[in-house]
Amino acid sequence: MRPRYEILSLDDLERLPATKGSPVLLPLRRTAGFRPFGVNAWLGEKAGDQVIERHAERGGDEELYVVVRGSARFTVGDETVDAPPGTLVHVPPGTVREAVAAEDDTVVLAAGAKAGEAWEPKPWEDFHVAFAYRAAGRVDEARALVRDTLARHPGSWEGEFNAACFEALAGDAAAAFAHLRRAHERAPGEVARFAEEDPDLAPLRGDARWREVFE
Amino acid sequence: MHVDALDRIELDDGFVWRPVRRRFGIRAFGVNAYSPGETGQVIEEHTEETFGHEEMYVVLRGRVRFMIDGDEHELGPGQLVVLHDPSLRRSAVAVGGDALVLALGGKPGAPHEVSAWEATFAAIPAARAERWEDAIRIHEEALAERPDDPRLLYNLSCMEARAGRRVDALLHLRRAIELEPKWADYAAADSDFASIRDEPGFPA
Repeated sequence: MRPRYEILSLDDLERLPATKGSPVLLPLRRTAGFRPFGVNAWLGEKAGDQVIERHAERGGDEELYVVVRGSARFTVGDETVDAPPGTLVHVPPGTVREAVAAEDDTVVLAAGAKAGEAWEPKPWEDFHVAFAYRAAGRVDEARALVRDTLARHPGSWEGEFNAACFEALAGDAAAAFAHLRRAHERAPGEVARFAEEDPDLAPLRGDARWREVFE
Repeated sequence: MHVDALDRIELDDGFVWRPVRRRFGIRAFGVNAYSPGETGQVIEEHTEETFGHEEMYVVLRGRVRFMIDGDEHELGPGQLVVLHDPSLRRSAVAVGGDALVLALGGKPGAPHEVSAWEATFAAIPAARAERWEDAIRIHEEALAERPDDPRLLYNLSCMEARAGRRVDALLHLRRAIELEPKWADYAAADSDFASIRDEPGFPA
């Protein structure tokens, strides 16, 4: 059972890098057990590192980014702005955005949800954590988290796709193809497109089972 | 935009509200910033029992002493407090000079609804300057989304009474009391209604 309130420091949170090294997730929402909407912090360890990944929230979430420390360069749509500490950047859903750290140790808080809907935790959080755990050698913990996430989001093609990426990186091709097949059955168009582009799946593309899934 | 460029609305309790959600038109969650006013207060003493909100306060600048359920915690930049239990009594004061706290909140498992108090806070500069029509407009805009919110109706009737719009004031006050009878007690002692208290049909 959680305490009635908690005191935390962003510096005490785990540091969970994306597969390509940056950005680094400081898993605030998971650590705090915060339930009303999504809120996390992202770290750019070095100037030039990505601190907010390029994406568009096509699921309908609006987001607010707050530069907590350091400095970042945000690009939202066609506009690029320098963002010192205390800068607020609001981005409506569907608009492409990204941010790069302009100084070492830049931290950006990100809050987001879809207006008019009750918020639920998204699978990407668990997968980000699982991928980071795997990269840090915590493979059993990571795999347990993937299993748990898939159980909580049954029917999600994104979950199965991410699980395929996870197993491909972990070196279990049979498990990766099983997940990829299920993802493809649920959303053939999206999965075929993402599978062609995703570097995590590179170890699978030369395998005969690749054609069995997509042809 | 930079947080320091947000409006600064100092409340009578001594803290300064920096309206983030309202500035950006955010609909999905509650978010605002607070800085100390003359008294050093940053977060007013309150609970979230009315709204059932879970809250997170993040110190962006300065040092801030939080009082939570009788406990004191002095926090600096990058530190935060998460209040899961809406019944916890909470407040905060700045330690030293400048400080800035980001407050995020919402009700778990429910779509976010904009809190009625935001319109009341936003109307304060207009009310202080006796620009009653501007204050009325701010409340009417909020009521368009929440037509049966008794707090909004009550505060709108206060502004209308001050503006000399007696009929509107009486109608909205009566509706507020119909929805939530406690507003009759407030109206009985509220100086905003001095101009209409002797009107036939004044409900308190």
